[in-house]
Amino acid sequence: MPTEVILPKVDMDMATGKISRWYVEEGAPVKKGDVLFEIETDKAAMEIDAPASGILRDVTGKEGIDIAVGEPVAWIYAEGEAQAAAVAPAPEEAKRKEAEPVQAEPVVQFQPAATAAKGEGARATPLARRLAAEAGLSLDAIVGSGPKGRVTRNDVEAILSAPAGRMEAKAPNAPRRSVGEPSASSQALPAGGAILYHAWLRQGSGRPIVLLHGFGADLNSWRPLLQAEPVDAPVLALDLPGHGGSGRTVPADLDAIAARVEATLAALDVGALLLVGHSFGGAVAATVASRSMADVRALALIAPAGLGPEINGAFLDGFVRARSEASLVPWLKLLVADEHLLSKPFVNATLAQSADSELRGVQAAIAERFFADGTQTFDIRKQLAGLRIPVRVIFGAGDRIIPSSQAFGLPGEIALHVFAATGHMPQLEQREAVLRILLEMARA
Amino acid sequence: MDQPVRELSYAQAIQEAMAIAMEQDERVFLMGEDIGVYGGAFQVTGDLVERFGADRVIDTPISELGGAGVAVGAAVTGLRPIFEFQFSDFATLAMEQIVNQAAKMRYMLGGAVSVPVVMRFPAGSGTGAAAQHSQSLEAWLGHVPGLKVIQPATPHDAKGMLLAAVADPDPVMIFEHKLLYKMKGPVPEGYYTVPIGKAEIRRQGRDLTIVATSIMVHKALDAAETLEAEGIDVEVVDLRTIRPMDTQTVIDSVKKTSRLLCVYEGVKTLGVGAEVSAAIAESDAFDFLDAPIVRLGGAETPIPYNPELEKATVPQVPDIIKAARDLVSGRR
Repeated sequence: MPTEVILPKVDMDMATGKISRWYVEEGAPVKKGDVLFEIETDKAAMEIDAPASGILRDVTGKEGIDIAVGEPVAWIYAEGEAQAAAVAPAPEEAKRKEAEPVQAEPVVQFQPAATAAKGEGARATPLARRLAAEAGLSLDAIVGSGPKGRVTRNDVEAILSAPAGRMEAKAPNAPRRSVGEPSASSQALPAGGAILYHAWLRQGSGRPIVLLHGFGADLNSWRPLLQAEPVDAPVLALDLPGHGGSGRTVPADLDAIAARVEATLAALDVGALLLVGHSFGGAVAATVASRSMADVRALALIAPAGLGPEINGAFLDGFVRARSEASLVPWLKLLVADEHLLSKPFVNATLAQSADSELRGVQAAIAERFFADGTQTFDIRKQLAGLRIPVRVIFGAGDRIIPSSQAFGLPGEIALHVFAATGHMPQLEQREAVLRILLEMARA
Repeated sequence: MDQPVRELSYAQAIQEAMAIAMEQDERVFLMGEDIGVYGGAFQVTGDLVERFGADRVIDTPISELGGAGVAVGAAVTGLRPIFEFQFSDFATLAMEQIVNQAAKMRYMLGGAVSVPVVMRFPAGSGTGAAAQHSQSLEAWLGHVPGLKVIQPATPHDAKGMLLAAVADPDPVMIFEHKLLYKMKGPVPEGYYTVPIGKAEIRRQGRDLTIVATSIMVHKALDAAETLEAEGIDVEVVDLRTIRPMDTQTVIDSVKKTSRLLCVYEGVKTLGVGAEVSAAIAESDAFDFLDAPIVRLGGAETPIPYNPELEKATVPQVPDIIKAARDLVSGRR
């Protein structure tokens, strides 16, 4: 076992201290009692002795920064003891080691070089590993703040939300399909990034409304709803993974999508919000609300998925395969009760996405994962039952994609709005009424 | 629940449950050492002998193996015995009947019989009763397929779970912490049950899940209040049943908080917390862990007689606060 070196308390009312200089370099031998580093407090500077003999490693206590009393600042390994806790070396350190190969300690030989290079040897929590993998980040690129340099969720999220990580440049393959006002604040990461493609569709004051579109759609699908009447609340719309301008990945499960939504909301500092989801986005919204990571104050689910096994499998199949107007429009007609509501811009916008074979290919894989064999393979009833926030479910009685009868049997405190002569798109077909419901929820 | 609710002590709640069970079903009867005129070592049976008579509140000789054997035999032949041990430590004397007979009989006879026996075990330290009268042996019995093992933490659950145990067709072992007997809490009147095999979230939180059993639930809730003032939001899961264990509730909680602390009074090594930790490590919650799993359990020693040492051998509120703080601040 290596010996931990901590920042000691050298002054009665000392909570933090700075290391003004190290007397021993990382990787150098020390003897118990040797002066190891100098500590500086408001009142004095003091030399601290090494608590053990061995090799000084994993020096995390950098010079000149405030460190809490009791925090580990380095470890002393016994001669020949394997350095189990390989901290990802900073670039300068790596260079120094290359420049002085003769000085390399024998312990280094115990580490398979290939493993270390891939970052698999880095110390990281399972959650940090998963988040980094989902975001396509190498653990080597992350400096861990935990004990012995362990990378934690906060470290990964700090990288993802850092200005450098939130590139202004859009994803190379991000479609430019904005039909309404310019969305100046749109940002996106390259494919695989943790922050989802998003746009503020309305600026304003009050509680933000966050919109999650359905399967095969994108954030632009919300624009007609917002034109129904003036909206004074800020409105943020996201593109789900594998949709619109977000990375073209097939998420593992609803939790994985929810994590991306949460990371995006956190990066944008959205705070308390009304979350609205349509269809598949409704299942994502319910998952986000139940995970309590984002500050969801109310939840509106429009024709949500996840309330029963049945879904129109032929529609899903035909919709993702359609490449021409002739093969697409018959399926789009199933979305609404009155086909006159299928405006030309709506058909054209959908067609533009259908022409993108790669996009629809990814979506076919998403459909295969979440709606295998024409069945909704996930269930959000349990999530909904545990919620302690206002929840409203909005359905069209004539929904031909997800039967509106699936909305029955929900907990009594969940309000249910069922619109007659309405299909799977109440936000399009009953836009005034749906928008009024959402605004009422946002103001409550 | 529509029934009126009063404040009762944990011991009163158990007594009420036993009385209701006996009123409802004449097959139900009580057995145990000194449970008749004396009212039980911890006065749990109280005056039930006056209400139901010595035929149904039976004092047994000082032979746990004999008493347990009679109880198991009575259960097999159609009665519904509730057998009280004076101290859970004496379960060791009755292991043959519990482990080799009660737990196995339904299986070995191809389902031709079941063993609807309930055994009650006053458990735990804190009463100055020293090494042979203070143990927490629930994990011993939790290791035996065929048994159900529960640890109600509140008067409400003590009554509801005892009534569920009486209604259960299989042997149910109830571990009651001795320091809980005087604890008061709301208890509905009349008959109700609390399901066996279902954990309860006692407090919702975001930063850390504490899975606790029995009296440790209350210590965890105390700790959570202090931690809340420091900005640490703790979720407390009362496991309630250790076999069959409700791992799904723990998994869901850890997926939310990303951190797990197990707190239990039984000896730490090979204890309940080891099973909870393993359940998380083996589940899809693994990928949600943002810190090592930490267990706080009893010390690897017999319980000492000296009261200060006795306290030091089991987790206390300050221990839970420190462990939680270290976990959430990233010091562990």
